[in-house]
Amino acid sequence: MDIFTIIFWVIAIILTVMSLVKDKKKTFDSMKAARGIMGGMMGDIVAIIFLIGLILTFIPPETIKTVLGGANSLMSTVTSAFVGSVTLIPAFVAFPLVGSFVDSGAHIIPSVAFLTTLTMVGVVTFPLEKKEFGLKFTLIRNGLSFVFAVLIALTMGVIL
Amino acid sequence: MKAIKIIKKNKLLFIIGFIYLLLLIVSPDKASKAVGNSVYYLKEMVMIMPVIFLLTVVLEALVPKEVIMKSFGKDSGFKGNVLALVLGSVSAGPIYAAFPIGKTMHKKGASISNIVIILSAWAVIKVPMLANEAKFLGVSFMAIRWVLTVLAIFIMAYITNIFVKNKDLPKNEVEIEEGIISIRDEYCIGCGMCANRMPEYFKMEDKKAVVVRENPDGREVELAVAEVTKKCPAKAISFYTTS
Repeated sequence: MDIFTIIFWVIAIILTVMSLVKDKKKTFDSMKAARGIMGGMMGDIVAIIFLIGLILTFIPPETIKTVLGGANSLMSTVTSAFVGSVTLIPAFVAFPLVGSFVDSGAHIIPSVAFLTTLTMVGVVTFPLEKKEFGLKFTLIRNGLSFVFAVLIALTMGVIL
Repeated sequence: MKAIKIIKKNKLLFIIGFIYLLLLIVSPDKASKAVGNSVYYLKEMVMIMPVIFLLTVVLEALVPKEVIMKSFGKDSGFKGNVLALVLGSVSAGPIYAAFPIGKTMHKKGASISNIVIILSAWAVIKVPMLANEAKFLGVSFMAIRWVLTVLAIFIMAYITNIFVKNKDLPKNEVEIEEGIISIRDEYCIGCGMCANRMPEYFKMEDKKAVVVRENPDGREVELAVAEVTKKCPAKAISFYTTS
């Protein structure tokens, strides 16, 4: 286990103990709820992890590098942002998925664009959002999220 | 029938499993290589998952969300923005679970910009997920993306506030009958809290909660249902009573 995982473990355990001391019943209640949510995602999580194995086996790193490796390729960034917008997978598994791409040579700009639009822009959830908040709000929020996802990605490319 | 249900529930898993099966027949070499490639990520995931689980639990239990929700006035200003950010960041569940909550808060006087902040923070900056991101993409990657995203969210909130006015938001109220329990299943995130607490009234079906009995009898049961309604993390249950 690397040092950061250990640090996260320590933090999580300390907080859990604090929470148990403070309110045992509430802690157990939220454990039940969290178990329900995560249990429901388990199938997708395992599936995506084994999908990563397939991708890494069949798509050679050279291909990933050529398609997603160009630092200045606006095209690959905007495409990644689009793919992220229409995909609906738990953010949970998006990190190992994107991590595997980065490990194989994908540049971080399209990776960040994908990660950010994946969660912030919702094409699939658009109708639901529109029903609650109206067309104008939903269009502006999703549109801005898309633009800012690309901006965040480009900025990260400059910093990292 | 039951088998079909299980397959439907785990569609992706079965598709991937099927591909592996085919691969095992056509080219066992590639299949074992693919499994080998997956194992590294599987191990990493197993190591970080309990942390994410515990952090989700702790945030849910320790952060006084109801207190935060009460402090969103129209003039809550920058403090309100920060609280909106905190509220969105500590909540569990996918973004659509945030819609009814955002709607409720808007009704209670939260501004358009705070709604944008809650929804966006809810979507992108989940605190437990930061552990996940740091694990697979590195701590500096996670930290920089977090800072940039928070900045972007505040700017987006400001811009949206200029263009969208309160009157642009629909006021459509779903008619709910007094004393009848109903669930908007498009918002249910399938946590099972309601079914756990009141199995006589709720049960889980296909990852969604459904109402078993819609009219609770007795004051005590009504109060218990009202409590579950309040506790539902997605605010998907509707129930009110005037008695």
